[in-house]
Amino acid sequence: MKIALAQIAPTLGNIATNLDLHLDLIEKARRAKADILVFPELSLTGYKLRDLVERAALNPQTSKTFKKLREAGRDLDMVVGFVEEKPQERGQFYNSAAFLHKGSILHIHRKVFLPNSGMFEELRFFAQGRNIRAFDSPWGRSGMLICRDFLHLNANYLLFADGAEISITISAAPGRGVAGEKGFATSRMWELIGETVARLTTSVVIYCNRVGFEDGAAFAGGSFIFDPYGHKVAQAPYFDPAFLLAEIDLGDIRKARKAMTFKRDDKPEVTLANMERIVRSYED
Amino acid sequence: MKINAPFVEKILTAFIKEELGKFGFKKGIIGLSGGLDSAVCASLAARALGSKNVIGLMMPYGEGFGPDLNDARAVARQLKIDARLIDIAPMVDAYFIRNPTRDLLLKGNKMARERMSILYDWSARERALILGTSNKTELLVGYGTIHGDLACAINPLGDLYKTQVRALAVHLGIPESLRAKAPSAGLWAGQTDEGELGLSYTELDEILKHLVDGRESPEEVIARKFPKTQVKKIAGLIRNSEFKRQMPPIAKISPRTIGHDFLYPYDWDK
Repeated sequence: MKIALAQIAPTLGNIATNLDLHLDLIEKARRAKADILVFPELSLTGYKLRDLVERAALNPQTSKTFKKLREAGRDLDMVVGFVEEKPQERGQFYNSAAFLHKGSILHIHRKVFLPNSGMFEELRFFAQGRNIRAFDSPWGRSGMLICRDFLHLNANYLLFADGAEISITISAAPGRGVAGEKGFATSRMWELIGETVARLTTSVVIYCNRVGFEDGAAFAGGSFIFDPYGHKVAQAPYFDPAFLLAEIDLGDIRKARKAMTFKRDDKPEVTLANMERIVRSYED
Repeated sequence: MKINAPFVEKILTAFIKEELGKFGFKKGIIGLSGGLDSAVCASLAARALGSKNVIGLMMPYGEGFGPDLNDARAVARQLKIDARLIDIAPMVDAYFIRNPTRDLLLKGNKMARERMSILYDWSARERALILGTSNKTELLVGYGTIHGDLACAINPLGDLYKTQVRALAVHLGIPESLRAKAPSAGLWAGQTDEGELGLSYTELDEILKHLVDGRESPEEVIARKFPKTQVKKIAGLIRNSEFKRQMPPIAKISPRTIGHDFLYPYDWDK
């Protein structure tokens, strides 16, 4: 499987410009014979939208922007990030990721864990997703997460329990901390968690982050792919735009799961029973 | 306090280039005081935009600032940027002849705002965006004149403590003579920041780092064996200078109000 990661700097609030950037990269990925092209979080809109959220919102089933993406992506799978307004929930806006296969939408993930502390204020502008579920892609059972979702243990566990073998996270993670030898301190955190999740779930872990500045905040780049053994297959540079191409052997998932039997030995019923007990025992 | 100076240079030059580009500017303009912060900022700008796209405006008050003016000139020469000299004495004197005062702070603030006024005029004349040079230390303790040296279009240095600006200056090849100078706001001759604040930047920055980056309470910082009076003083300076770091509050009377619930990004469509 040949994976392409588009580590781009979208223009904040300008979907037309961002669509052109997407179409250029889709063409590039097609020429490189990539099987899948992954864009970062809110790749069609930019991240710090604030009150622009409603203007950037679209319904992927009817949007002309999505129609162009779907037409361009007929022989290539892709993951794009966008602001979603569902027809049945008008006036609510989700930070969403769509998996497109042969021009149709195979799955949409709506960001569940919206960061809302420190420099983040997503809960002020977005509705929270309610589901974390795996889906069948042409490459095997897969799951998508958006940025902060990936830092929550239970999000990764749910995909694992739901059978995902490929975990795709799209991200708009700003860099913080410049004391280290390479890149931002926060990039190291993402890499450690990426490796850990790959090892603990014996899955392929794909992480596509963005770059560029928005209102002074620098997005850190450093997109990566880990194989199901937790070995880093490829990584894009920190901070600079990049188009990363990497080949992974999906046969490694079977091999890794024979060697490390975390999936076979998992006990979701133990998790379920104890989670029910724990949640019921919560007090105000 | 440690920084990876080459990486910081990379981020800050990209920031300058990208922010100017977003707003359709190629040129940057900086008030060159002869001090370290403006030298570092000018050096970053020259690297980001090319020397010929950086204007250094030297705005001394009359003759009393000879050594600083020479240092500002030396920075401009080293960086090969366009340096211009405007003496602010005639404008400032004209005001104070009619409105006399002996208060050096009033005079210094007026001078800082005179420089701001000239910078904005030249910003429009030259189509050059103003790069601010206030560092994190100054911004946090409110060591700057509101609508004076605090005014700018973008500020590349605002998240670097003074001691970190010094480390970046070494990396950028700013001459030792300039780095060794006692930091001064230049409000009056012989003024030094550390003299006025009553503690060294090294101590000040260590305390700020715990209070601000570490989100510690003054009591927690004092428990780290920092002097109680100084920690309390710094916490007070931070608290009392918030007005210098924010846009003025607007009285909310309508359903949608600028700053309250009319919230757009600075980089809208950029």
